[in-house]
Amino acid sequence: MKKYFAVFNINLVNSLAYPAELVTRSLMILLFMWIFYQLWRVTFAASGSDVLNGLTLRDTMWYLLLAETLELGRPRLARVISQQVKDGSIAYLLNKPYDFLLYQLSSGLGESLPRMGMLFLLGGALTWVMAGPPPDLVNWPVALVALVGAWLLHFCFNALIGLAAFVSEEVAPYEWIYQKFTFVLGGMLIPLDFYPAWLQTVSKSLPFAYMMYGPARLFVQPDPALFAQIILGQFVWLSVLGGLLLLAYSRGLRRLAINGG
Amino acid sequence: MIRELKFLLSLWKTNLAAAMEYRATFITQSLGMILNDGVYFLVWVIFFDRFKDVRGWELADMFIVFGIAASAFGLVGMLFGNAFNLSEIITGGRLDYYLSLPRPTLLHALASRVVPSGFGDFLYGFISYAASGQFTWDGLARFVLAVLLAAAVFTAFLIIVQSLTFWMGTGGTFTMLAINAMLTFALYPITLFNQAARVVLFLVVPAAFMGAVPAGFVKAFSWSTLGLMTLAAAGFLAAAILLFHLGLRRYESGSAIQTEV
Repeated sequence: MKKYFAVFNINLVNSLAYPAELVTRSLMILLFMWIFYQLWRVTFAASGSDVLNGLTLRDTMWYLLLAETLELGRPRLARVISQQVKDGSIAYLLNKPYDFLLYQLSSGLGESLPRMGMLFLLGGALTWVMAGPPPDLVNWPVALVALVGAWLLHFCFNALIGLAAFVSEEVAPYEWIYQKFTFVLGGMLIPLDFYPAWLQTVSKSLPFAYMMYGPARLFVQPDPALFAQIILGQFVWLSVLGGLLLLAYSRGLRRLAINGG
Repeated sequence: MIRELKFLLSLWKTNLAAAMEYRATFITQSLGMILNDGVYFLVWVIFFDRFKDVRGWELADMFIVFGIAASAFGLVGMLFGNAFNLSEIITGGRLDYYLSLPRPTLLHALASRVVPSGFGDFLYGFISYAASGQFTWDGLARFVLAVLLAAAVFTAFLIIVQSLTFWMGTGGTFTMLAINAMLTFALYPITLFNQAARVVLFLVVPAAFMGAVPAGFVKAFSWSTLGLMTLAAAGFLAAAILLFHLGLRRYESGSAIQTEV
């Protein structure tokens, strides 16, 4: 574990080494939150009600903040891994005394944490000004647990897409489509509560809802039954995707041909 | 002028041939982008299914706006692919190559790359217009004209933003922020924004000319809208060319050895 902590630490320090760059990159969330606020303010006003499908405008905005933080803050590991496979630099990682996938997980987490922190800080400040104070502090640890599960699910998907470079010349389209599935079926741009019932059922039977909707919904309205449902869903999908990832990795290694150095 | 047009045609022909050299990548990226855009648009289908309209802005309007923005974005990628990474070219000292050749530097640099996924975006725009339920043949002619003018404004905006690199020394993150702002504002209903925000959308981040204004023109012909779009395209292009050439005076080569392929 010590070596993975070292990898995590190096990437964390790297991310914090250029604070101006970190802040500039995170400014994107201000744009998104402002535009979301315009959309939902008008939508709530037009409905003539303060509560829509159990969510207030304030809930909706803090829900969207957490979902955006997760989306913008997650590392683009698919690109990194596919590039390593394509240009052969994976060979330099495989001959080191660590597990390739755990290495990627540690480095991705080190890169992701400061970015997510900064996104949440900036976006949270604007959301507070526009929509009101954040949810109760007691909601935070509940959401944090689900956030960890969501991040790991993202990692599994991203690593699987990256490893697809072993068999596919181009993996970028898989990443685009995966991202759009998290937007739509994960409820990233619209909380799933606003979806028609049949689509909510479909979404909740797929992993995407546990990667976005789960932590974001628990953040604004934690509910023991929902918490149990989200954690169970994350556990099931982590087992499935984790298993697939290990299988894809071992198969990929068998296809790998390294010539010289 | 004719000489430069012939030069552009030869460049585009060569770019297309180069893209087709990696046929699988080209087809995967194009089809992947069509699917990506289609899945993304489902968010708006779900939204308008639940909330019907946003201050009079309906799903049919979104189909047209999305169509124009996607086709214009794709067209810029197809014809002037380097418009997306002009900043990198400037900071990397790669303008040396274009400066040393007897052709207009900016035009040559912009048209020297094709983004394969641009073909997918370009085609998807037409699909989106066809699906809007407002398709007519004369509307299609207006759609094509609107896409051309929107693409001109978008190209100009990309050049303006990235020409600032000559003064700032770096511009990658700023460019990403500007592109996101342009696309996000273009793809949201303009009825959301108050007068002050609309001034910004017409003059600073000219997203209105990539979304709402051309969409209005596609729905109903108007000389004043056509005049406004033409004026905006000409004005922003003139400003872009001027700014790039002013910046070029500050350009310093690193004398690095570069290979342009």
